[in-house]
Amino acid sequence: MSPRRSTSGGLIDRTRTVRFTFDGENLSGHAGDTLASALLANGVSLMGRSFKYHRPRGVFSAGVDEPNALVTLLRGGVREPNIPATQIEIYDGLRAESQNRFPSLAWDLGAVNQLGGRLIGAGFYYKTFMGPVIGPLKGTRFWMMCEHFIRRAAGLGRADYEADPSRYERVNAFCDVLVVGGGIAGLMAAEAAAKAGKRVILAEQEPVTGGFARWSGETNEGKQAHEWASNLTARLASLDNVRLLTRTAVWGYYDGNTLAALERVHDHVARTPKGHPRQRHWTIRATDVVLATGALERPIVFPGNDRPGVMLAGAARRYAAEFGILPGNRTIFFTNNDSAYEAAATIKRAGGHVAAIVDVRARISSAASELATAAGVSPLTGHAIVGTKCGKTLSRVFVQAYDAASGTLSGDARPLECDSLAVSGGWQPVLHLASQAGAKPVWDEEKQAFLPPEPTQRWAGAGAFLGTFGTVDALGSGRDAGLKCAGKRPSRGKLPEIAPEPLDLTPAPVLEIRGKGKAFVDFQHDVIADDVRLAHREGFVSVEHLKRYTTLGMATDQGKTSNVPGLAIMAAARGITIPEAGTTRFRPPYSPVAIGAMAAERYGDLKPERYTPIHDWHVDHGAEMTPAGLWHRPLVYAAAGETVEQAYIREAAAVRRSVGIVDVSTLGKIAVKGPDAATFLDRVYTNTFSTLKVGKARYGLMLREDGIAFDDGTTWRLGETDFLMTTTTANAGAVMQHLEYCLDILWPELKVHLTSVTDQWAGAAIAGPKARAVLERCVTGTRVDNETLPFMGIVHGEIEGAPVMICRLSFSGELAYEVYCAAGYGTLIWEALMEAGEPFDITPYGMEALGALRIEKGHVTGAEIDGRTTARDLYLDWMLSKKKPFIGSGLMDRPALIDKNRLRLVGVISLDGQKLGGGAHLVERGTPDEPGESIGHVTAFCYSPALQKYIGLALVRGGKARHGTRAYLSDPLRKRFGQVEIVSHHLFDPDGERMHG
Amino acid sequence: MVERASPLGSDFRPGSYGDFVEGTGVTILEALKGSIVEASAWPGEEKTLAENLSAICRLKLSASPGSGAANREGTCAFNIGPGRFIVSGQGEALAGVIIAAIDESVGTVTDLSHGRAVFAVEGPKVEWVLAKLFALDFSLSAFPVHTGRATAHHDLFVQIQRRGEKRFELYVFRSFARAFAKTLRRASEDVGYAIR
Repeated sequence: MSPRRSTSGGLIDRTRTVRFTFDGENLSGHAGDTLASALLANGVSLMGRSFKYHRPRGVFSAGVDEPNALVTLLRGGVREPNIPATQIEIYDGLRAESQNRFPSLAWDLGAVNQLGGRLIGAGFYYKTFMGPVIGPLKGTRFWMMCEHFIRRAAGLGRADYEADPSRYERVNAFCDVLVVGGGIAGLMAAEAAAKAGKRVILAEQEPVTGGFARWSGETNEGKQAHEWASNLTARLASLDNVRLLTRTAVWGYYDGNTLAALERVHDHVARTPKGHPRQRHWTIRATDVVLATGALERPIVFPGNDRPGVMLAGAARRYAAEFGILPGNRTIFFTNNDSAYEAAATIKRAGGHVAAIVDVRARISSAASELATAAGVSPLTGHAIVGTKCGKTLSRVFVQAYDAASGTLSGDARPLECDSLAVSGGWQPVLHLASQAGAKPVWDEEKQAFLPPEPTQRWAGAGAFLGTFGTVDALGSGRDAGLKCAGKRPSRGKLPEIAPEPLDLTPAPVLEIRGKGKAFVDFQHDVIADDVRLAHREGFVSVEHLKRYTTLGMATDQGKTSNVPGLAIMAAARGITIPEAGTTRFRPPYSPVAIGAMAAERYGDLKPERYTPIHDWHVDHGAEMTPAGLWHRPLVYAAAGETVEQAYIREAAAVRRSVGIVDVSTLGKIAVKGPDAATFLDRVYTNTFSTLKVGKARYGLMLREDGIAFDDGTTWRLGETDFLMTTTTANAGAVMQHLEYCLDILWPELKVHLTSVTDQWAGAAIAGPKARAVLERCVTGTRVDNETLPFMGIVHGEIEGAPVMICRLSFSGELAYEVYCAAGYGTLIWEALMEAGEPFDITPYGMEALGALRIEKGHVTGAEIDGRTTARDLYLDWMLSKKKPFIGSGLMDRPALIDKNRLRLVGVISLDGQKLGGGAHLVERGTPDEPGESIGHVTAFCYSPALQKYIGLALVRGGKARHGTRAYLSDPLRKRFGQVEIVSHHLFDPDGERMHG
Repeated sequence: MVERASPLGSDFRPGSYGDFVEGTGVTILEALKGSIVEASAWPGEEKTLAENLSAICRLKLSASPGSGAANREGTCAFNIGPGRFIVSGQGEALAGVIIAAIDESVGTVTDLSHGRAVFAVEGPKVEWVLAKLFALDFSLSAFPVHTGRATAHHDLFVQIQRRGEKRFELYVFRSFARAFAKTLRRASEDVGYAIR
């Protein structure tokens, strides 16, 4: 079926054919293939275009470190860009597209950028678009001209404008030991910890555990290494105290041994099963962590090292051993260490042809020689590759004699024919998580690699993570790490027997071969070796500056293949050692994480919404509901054909005419109890509550400590030591927090308990001249006449057999009562009140009418208590007690807060018969186009059915002093300019006769 | 006796939902409580309050953090903070009994019988489902039967008591009950769930 697939071998299921498309072309692979392996099997070597130069690129690695083969996946009409083809498991129907090319991958217009060469090197934007000092393109004008085109060309892949319909979820996990990495070391660690009785989570980013054992070709305990790993995995999976998470990348290591992981739950199937997420975000809290994250192979930097057909030697080995795929018909290996020899032998065993092994070292080990012989070649030692030639695919490389000690080339370069080149520049332990955990990696000169630091949190390393790359070491260090985390000593027990490992993976200290042409360091961001040297010449010598100036290591691969070579080049340029050059701190995420996975369930319809006990009645009776914070409240109960404005005018007029009813269950309610409750209230309110009699309520105002108004509401004294405080709906939580702060921090000696009882009570406000008559028809157990229930009085009775508490108070300015009952009886009581009100044509009203009624009366809400106003600004200074201190009293009289020119509350009336606008400015004079200086702004407005005018409340400089004057409403956003009259905020029934009547 | 209305509405219908490939992972039901109170002790009186509640409700309640207890009649209590307990029971009279019995010198008691909705979640996958919502260790060793925790799911305060090896009761503010039910159901879909 395939030009590259060997006839046998590999761990794929050759009996199952999987069909997919790449750039619209129908292709097939086998179950177990990644997109990269399947494309290689189909002879596709060109998989992407580079970021800046649009150079053709093929797959470079076989895992999470892939910098080149980034593709866009199309799932259910949604595009997901920048997914490494090496991380995509193919499934029937998979659709993938190449990216960063136009019109096609093979013929990309953007490739013209390659002609730009040095012109678009590092710092290109900073230098090119500074602009000349004089002339038409002075300053940033040239940049402004080019910005549009640059922005179009910038970026990698194209995000979708459509919402992602996929489902994501989050989950929390706790364990004694988290093992990160399911290779040999990780498996051994998990087994050791599990046998010691610890709760273990093993997270492996690949679909299958085993890691290197899957493609090493080694034998463990007489079995193929991958079989050994599978058997151990199965044993672990059978244990109750072990949770195995495959396809799960641990990407963040935070304080307190809290780690973040992403599980790709169903990315490998065409359809996510019902009720299951596509991806799951794990927050794992572990007592101990085993980092068995392995090592990544490094490339060698040389001219033309990015051609399609060039890949890491370890990747070539893995493709051959795990997927049965040969990297090419003639493969050349280029290395500075022994591991490439194993890879060459593997390719040979798989049926491939090894054309040459080019080694920068003058001498190699006997074991490497034997492997070269097995691969059918005699290694070309003391040589380096200095260039490549490529049409659609790699066609030849150029080899030159090289002295690794001095780093010098000699003699002439000669060509070697090949169609694939496998490179190994040594191995770098994956230290990202250890670095994130807070410690700095340590450079090891002998191993030419950064090694793990001393742990600053409770973690232990194992396997190749430690810089020991042999299987015996992995087995031993894995077991010891597991035991250590279980609180046990290292074991002297026998380890699984494996074939001998004579190879030495210590590389020669060669990471770059200098020559003519672009030598790529960061493949994904097109950072070349000369860019690093340019940064050095221009003074960006710190690694942090280097990173930002060149963008080295800042792409989605986070520099997994580029960090060490880049650092080595900078160190060489500075004439210092690599550890002197330093390294950057790795940051989360280790591998890309979809934002959807982090947002998880907290979007869409899963919101923390609140419903009143009477919600269903409102909906059933035609209420248009509106969100008010988290609450859902009736806006209006519009009759057929009515607009919102018509509806609220009708509702408000009904209240003034007869009686209306509104759901006030949302008001914050706090039980304040204890022998010091009255003292406490005296301190938090500006007015006095200790003198309040049992069975009475009082309006109260709270200030912040800085003297600014905070919240208002009524507090009811239900017993000597028992108060029910009400707050505004919006501020209920903030007031509760404030009160708890006061008790916990300021006055811990007070014996007061606070409990939120907002949800315990349903509330209905009955307002209007007939309000008392309504209550008289349904309340039993108490009278509600003026003597029994005076203004701000409280009585207890029953309605329909359910206990109710009634307080006579008014927000509307009418004769009004608030009827509270236990929430479970809310609808019962509401319906009883509606029935009792039928003879009076009782009208339910919503927030719009509620607002209109309070604006008419000049009662303030959050629109006026806006975090900037004082009690005096709102003409509530009558509530500021002079007999006692209270929160805010010390700072409320600061000069700036009593300035006569502060914005203060007034009423406004539209003189042109047009609507006002919330937030509109008021100006003394001017025109619509040049409105002049603002003297204040409108906080709320409505049409007043009582006054038959558009009215509003406003905060205006000077406040009362402007009563009777005229000003202009300036609202450019709504294209509104009109004259208003400034009046008292008590626009209707200023003496309160209706309320007390 | 006046009948209370459930805060859950018509969406919370008995039935089976989600992915049933491996059976019903959890069962969700509204645990109807006649009485729920929050009892709070003054500093130094925590033990006395726990003893008093134990005597009134026939429980073995201690004052230690997270402690809890339950009896065969379905009365249960658990600690939600320093000196604070949630006590609930089937009878509507219980709240009044506790309020009357706790002396003001010991602490205060607030009736929340209508202010909290209680979900019982039980089944083989209950720990898995709850782990999606709360940063708590739900393993039996870390969260023993009868013990309680006060926690939150996003903006939503939740108090949880383990009532059995595979059963938890979750107390939420009544007004959030529908939203929380939706969240709970969504979290249960992958394991299959039933509403009773």
